[in-house]
Amino acid sequence: MAKTERAQAEEVEQTPAYAWLIGAAAWFFPGLGHALLKKFGRSVLMGGAILGCFIIGLAMGGHMFDLSTGQGSSQLLQVPPMIANIGTGAPYIMCWLAGYGFADDPTQAARATYEYGNTFLLIGGLLNYLAMLDAFDIAAGRKP
Amino acid sequence: MTLFAALASIVFGAMAKDTAQERMLYGLKAFAQFMVIGLVLAWILYFIP
Repeated sequence: MAKTERAQAEEVEQTPAYAWLIGAAAWFFPGLGHALLKKFGRSVLMGGAILGCFIIGLAMGGHMFDLSTGQGSSQLLQVPPMIANIGTGAPYIMCWLAGYGFADDPTQAARATYEYGNTFLLIGGLLNYLAMLDAFDIAAGRKP
Repeated sequence: MTLFAALASIVFGAMAKDTAQERMLYGLKAFAQFMVIGLVLAWILYFIP
């Protein structure tokens, strides 16, 4: 029995190393993973839609999350939306380094589009996680 | 809501199915579902104080 299980485990195909690189590239910049796989149509559509979500979110006055706000247990509440925001990759990192898009002051929160902006920013990151998994699957040969 | 539905549907459509035609149909279906469900929920919430 143990031998059969071991034989089955050995039969499982190993994921090629470049699939992880493609996944990392797809996370780092929306659409880059598919572009490296020469799926340019998907790259433009996905990258455009995700960057569109990000730009529209910022334009609507939404803000991104990091761990700088909140104290104690309330800081933990920042973690799930921060994970969603980090999904955008390089645009999030650039904004974080520039200190742009993280302000959560009452004037900004009073804007009618503030919550819509937050939602666009969160969804942009989550959609990029989906795009990253898709690029990884294609690179690993699990999807055409 | 329309903008959100369009952008999300583009990503869903680009990832799903095998042929280009199937992808486009799936994207359009996802867009229609976003819109219809969004409007239905909005009207339900409108009557809830």
